[in-house]
Order: sequence, then C-alpha cells, then structure tokens
Amino acid sequence: MSHHPCVVVIPCSGIGKAFGTVSREAAYELCENFRPADTNLVALSKLVLGEEEAQARVRSNAAVTIDGCALMCASKLVKLSGGTVAREISVLDVFRRHKRLKPEGIAELNEAGKKLARVIAAEISETLDEVLAESQGGHHA
Amino acid sequence: MPNLPERKVGIIACSGEELAVGTVSRLAALKVLHELRPGKTVTICLPLFLAGGEGDRAFARFHPTITVDGCELRCAARGTEMYSGKPTASVVITELAAENGVGHIDGRRTLNQAGQKAVELTAERLTSLVDEILATKTPGKPLVSITAPPEQPKAVGCACGSGIPVQTVSIEGQPVELLALPLIFSNLRERGRAPDVVADELMASVEIYNAVPVGAKAAYRTAILREYVAYCRGGMR
Repeated sequence: MSHHPCVVVIPCSGIGKAFGTVSREAAYELCENFRPADTNLVALSKLVLGEEEAQARVRSNAAVTIDGCALMCASKLVKLSGGTVAREISVLDVFRRHKRLKPEGIAELNEAGKKLARVIAAEISETLDEVLAESQGGHHA
Repeated sequence: MPNLPERKVGIIACSGEELAVGTVSRLAALKVLHELRPGKTVTICLPLFLAGGEGDRAFARFHPTITVDGCELRCAARGTEMYSGKPTASVVITELAAENGVGHIDGRRTLNQAGQKAVELTAERLTSLVDEILATKTPGKPLVSITAPPEQPKAVGCACGSGIPVQTVSIEGQPVELLALPLIFSNLRERGRAPDVVADELMASVEIYNAVPVGAKAAYRTAILREYVAYCRGGMR
C-alpha cells in the first residue's frame, strides 16, 4: 500500500517573544490553508519528551522547521531526534526582508505579525514541491 | 547592579501545537505571566531544555516551577523533570476541564468558547498555585530568582526567563556546578566587597541557591573564595 508523502512542519513553541507566536501562526497557515494535503504538524514538546510516535513521524518524513529566535530550537531538536531538516526557516530572517511587518503581541498577534506569518507560509509553500521531490528521491534511491 | 534575590515562580507550558488544549496551556500561562501575576512569575520555552545551555537546564532547579500541560502525555511536566528538575506543581488541562464540566475544547488556532473558558480556569488555578508557592518556603528549594543578569554570557535568543547563570568550580578536585555564582560574584564586587572580608556573605548567598553538603562546607568555602579572588583580579585588569 502506498501512502501520500508529506512534510512534517515543526514550529519552535517560543513563548517569550512575538516572533515565537509568528512561527506558530505560520505553521498553522501552511498546514491548514496553503498545503493541508502535503503537510503534517508536529508539536515540538513531544520531541522534547521523546514521544515515539512524534519521533517516528519526524524520522520518516522531510521536515520544515520554523524558528522564532537565533537559538533555533525546532531545527536543533529535529536533528537531535534523528530527523532531516529539509528547510530551516528563521522568522527573523524573513522579517529582515519585510521590515514593515513588525510582529507585536505574544498571546494575540497584531495584524502585521499575522501578515508576516502568511508571508512565511507562502514562501515555504512555494518550495514544498521541491522538498517533497527531494524526500521521495532520497527514500527511493 | 544585579537584582538579587527576587522571589518568582516559573511557569512552563507545553504549548502543544497539534491540539487545542496545547493552545489553552500557552494562553493560560501568558495570562498569568502578563496580566495576573506579572513580576512574580517567569517562563522558559520548553524546548530550551534540550536546545539551550546549562543555564537553561538549571531553570527548575532554580525556580519553584509549575508545569501546565494540555493533555495526558504531560510533555511539559515530564520533560521538565527529565532535563531540569522536578516541578513543584503541575496542571493538566484535560483533567481540569473535566473536573469543571467544560465542554469539548476545539480550535487550536482560534479557541471555541469551551477553550476560552478553559483558559480562564487554568489561569485561575495557576494563579492560586503561584500564590501558594510564594507563601510557602520549602526547605531545600529556594523561592528565589534573579532577574536580568547583565553579565550573563549567553545573550542570543528568546525573551523568556532562560539562561540562569551557572559556574563550574573545582572543589577538592571534583567539578561542581553552582547556580547563580557569576551573578553573586558580580553583585558583591559591584557593592565593593573585597575578598578578605566577604567569605561569610559569599557562602550565605551561595547556600540560598545551592545545596551545600554539611560535611563539605569548609571545602566549598575555600573553593568559592578562591574563585571570587580570581574573579575580582580579572575585573581589575
């Protein structure tokens, strides 16, 4: 039986700054609106715990991580869990290219923050076919 | 000058992105941190226990900590205990919601009414636990924290309460990790406390944040004083 290949999406869970909320919002945008059929959201807290099902999903699919600060927790933890980070997105890097979209509010993002999240989701979405093709090539090589 | 000591309670939310109850955990923690008990609470991003440094992993050994989890996996509670220290208290939202007859919580991105009710209930529960902890000084677990360490070497990253300063000191040939030592040194030096008169005060501060074995006090005192002398000399260069 064949299964539809997908990409796991892991935001950073950052709770100290609005950029962490942007990472979460961008992941929801991507998984719920842009590419629901090709993506699968994984909670980073499960990887912290070492939960087997989450680790298996990360190990058997290409991963896109979205991090809100320079510590890059999501990217580091996917690698620690044995996963392959196909695309590593830094919210700060995207923000530097879109300085008008300054996110504010951790519990509730302002409109600029929500737009920044949509920009990030759109950028990832554009490269997702490439990621899927790369991962299929890798699995069947 | 470093602000030392200040009593705070750590709150760690699972923030689970996959489920609506994860969103509840995050919003309830933020409500307590920003609205209900600002200045008395501090947080850390859960993933920092693995992705961060020693200072991050020291969080729950330093702060009395409450974990708040969305579901029975209890990632925040178990992850905190595995990598940092045993939480003082923990809250599981599915259990709290069931106890209070809250309906089906839905909407991981935008919570439904039951989810919003759960945020209120969880925030109330957390607030009550914060107040209980601050009112009770547990022996061996100091209810103290340090804010905004200006000389902390790790400067990148999040605005959560990560990066408690630690220093490893050789005591009778064994490496011992001491919480808050860099900040204690900084505090004493900025107050003009010279090494030859500071030993008692130094040890008293160290013992607030660290469990010093009864039989090893003299060795700790010698080693810590030696490090303080070196620290002061370094600062005078």
